[in-house]
Amino acid sequence: MRRMPLIGLLSVSLVALATPALAEFKPTKPIELVVHGAPGSGPDTFGRAIVDALDKENLLPVRVQINNKTGGSGQTAMSYVVENAGDDHMLAVFTMLWLSNPLTVKEANATIHEMTPVARLVLEPALIVTKADSPYETLQDFIDAAKEKPGQLKQSGGSITARDNIMRQILMAETDTDWVFISFPGGGERLAALLGGHVDLLMMEPQEVGEQVRAGSVRVLAQVNDKRLPEYADVPTLKEAGFDVPNVPQGRGLVAPPTMSEDAVAYYVDVLRRMSETPTWKAFLDRNQMDQAFAGPEDTKAFFDSFVADMRVVLTAAGVEIIR
Amino acid sequence: MSILDGLLQGFAVALTVHNVAWCFVGVFLGTIIGILPGLGPAATIALLLPLTYDMEPTGGIIMLAGIYYGAKYGGSTTSILLNMPGEASSVATCIDGYQMAKAGRAGPALGIAAIASFIAGTIGVLALTLIAPPIAAFALSFSSPEYFALMCLGLSLVVLLGGDSMVKGLLSLFVGLWLAGIGTDIFTAQSRFTFGTPALLDGLDFMVIAIGVFAISEVLATAEERGQARAIPVPRGIRNLLPSLAELKACRFAFLNGSVVGFIVGVLPGAGSSIASFIAYGIEKAVSRHPERFGNGAPEGVAAPEGANNADSGGALVPLLTLGIPGGGTTAILLSALIVWGIRPGPLMITESPDVFWGLVASMYIGNVILLILNLPLVPLFAQLLRVPVWLLLPIVLGISLVGAYAVSGSLLDVWLLAGFGLLGYLMNRLGFPAAPLILGFVLGDGMERAIRQSLMMSQGDLSILVSRPISATMLGLSLLILALPLLRWRRTRQATALGE
Repeated sequence: MRRMPLIGLLSVSLVALATPALAEFKPTKPIELVVHGAPGSGPDTFGRAIVDALDKENLLPVRVQINNKTGGSGQTAMSYVVENAGDDHMLAVFTMLWLSNPLTVKEANATIHEMTPVARLVLEPALIVTKADSPYETLQDFIDAAKEKPGQLKQSGGSITARDNIMRQILMAETDTDWVFISFPGGGERLAALLGGHVDLLMMEPQEVGEQVRAGSVRVLAQVNDKRLPEYADVPTLKEAGFDVPNVPQGRGLVAPPTMSEDAVAYYVDVLRRMSETPTWKAFLDRNQMDQAFAGPEDTKAFFDSFVADMRVVLTAAGVEIIR
Repeated sequence: MSILDGLLQGFAVALTVHNVAWCFVGVFLGTIIGILPGLGPAATIALLLPLTYDMEPTGGIIMLAGIYYGAKYGGSTTSILLNMPGEASSVATCIDGYQMAKAGRAGPALGIAAIASFIAGTIGVLALTLIAPPIAAFALSFSSPEYFALMCLGLSLVVLLGGDSMVKGLLSLFVGLWLAGIGTDIFTAQSRFTFGTPALLDGLDFMVIAIGVFAISEVLATAEERGQARAIPVPRGIRNLLPSLAELKACRFAFLNGSVVGFIVGVLPGAGSSIASFIAYGIEKAVSRHPERFGNGAPEGVAAPEGANNADSGGALVPLLTLGIPGGGTTAILLSALIVWGIRPGPLMITESPDVFWGLVASMYIGNVILLILNLPLVPLFAQLLRVPVWLLLPIVLGISLVGAYAVSGSLLDVWLLAGFGLLGYLMNRLGFPAAPLILGFVLGDGMERAIRQSLMMSQGDLSILVSRPISATMLGLSLLILALPLLRWRRTRQATALGE
């Protein structure tokens, strides 16, 4: 056993010899991947897909361990990442919740802006749907109806800081209309409210609502995406449907604790870039109908900043109190 | 394809050697995690999911679903023996189950729980087989006003759970309702009663409260009675290990009640199995000729909630398999598992993947039989747990409770909260405040507040939406009736005594 460090030292120096100049980073112990959801939740599934792809494609010399830091609507995980400043063996899955929460929640004292951006990996498009037997054939039909009966049409969705409400606010401002947004905590409940005819409109990721489209129980009015999804080639994007509004993005990727060394960041960015091109990862994206959207640290940071700036405007317009 | 053809085809799939084996693995694992508090079926299935990626889908879903309904069987064991609910759905079982154990009838209580689970589980699957598509359509007609009415029906049961003093029962209920309000409000994104603690943004965890006010407070109370060597008598002789014929007969209605209530509540995506078991318990007590026996070890008080939480799993699979709508955390994971295997869960699944659907349904009949065979012989074994002397048993219970609370989210705050709720439960017990209404308030409070706000948003603030819809109006009427019940009973007894004089 006592010989081990020597061998380790030797191999490190060999690597150093083989790759001159850069004092390159290599992980030396298992990497901790923090996710803010319980096992089986969205962020957890996403994290496990990353671990799966890294594993199957042999992209890392060490194991990656998922750490479910649940609670505090993401805040427990965010505080944990900030507390571990300087740790080169920790990464965390971010979702848009990590950006929107600190804007409205007083207790959210750890923000994503303190962390080190690593990579955005995917963007999720969304579909705007109505019940198959509803009178609205196009989004314009719905908007017209909303104009006729202000405040009477209903949309089911998640929290008011979630993307579906932000898109609603933008559309209402653009068309000078007004309809109600009813929050339901679970995706199943949102869908059930639409299918039961209790609400008129729903905006949802294709993975969640796709089967209803295929079975003909809902009608897709528009897609929230820059270009048409292959599976929904006959459905107009918002712009094509005549609404020149920004598509509020829904992105996921990885961040690292504050002050992670530059070498380590560069290393992870490289690994993740290679991972995003592997068949295992692409199969995961296909299955979940997510868009490949790899972006390096600078672009990821720009993505954060522009999203938060937009959110501020929209939430203020919606009358939501902005804390920070 | 007719239902019979489908079911036969399903049995052909489910009865292959490896599928029966997967079914066994699933229900066995389910029983174990059901017994352990803290580790729930949702987390277990999620952790095992990667191992099933390469499995054949039918075998995979048979196993994972086995964990789901198997956990409901196991959950009753610690509820009855230690007053420690193993799963959220078995809290109601504590009320009478533990009292039976205290009276030396732990064996019969466990036996009744297993039999009720089997009967209701099977009836739930039978209903899933026969009426899944029409009942799914019924579930969709349920929306926020109906959920509000359902929660009202649940809350009205407090008059039945309350014990001797209605005032104390109501106070306990209101504390529960307040506790449910802690956390982030989804409608405004504002936090409430978090006192600046980020860890409270998601609210309190049900298991932490339930283990605290039931198990920890019981440990404290038992520790106080130091003089006695043993708090719970060890059942002796075969007659004290299995339920008597009279007890089973008394449970006839409870088995049926649990099955029907459990299945119907299970079908609704916005309810949950702990609501089902509380409602079944309440109905059982409301219609009983001996309501005074409830809370003092009535076998029906075990049979009804245990039945309900098992029929609930059959019900919860209805919207999942026929509409692709998951009702709760565990069914959401089953849904993602189906996607991983390339099955497309949704309205078309039954026609496109009949093997998976019917194979799963058929396997649940088999699974329930396996669970009964697995659980009944375990009854005497588990009953022997009570032989463990108190000085050893109490620390073990305390240890399992602490680990269970920590396992919920891996946060030390939950452990402190557990201690706090343990103390609260102990004080309530000493001062004669019943704990069950507190739990009931906590279970229903959140959903009830949401449902009324959603309803009023739907109707632009018009309260008449609650009574203009037939299902909601019926349930509200029913809850009024239950609230009036003690009054009627009081009048009847007064008349009877007046006549006697």
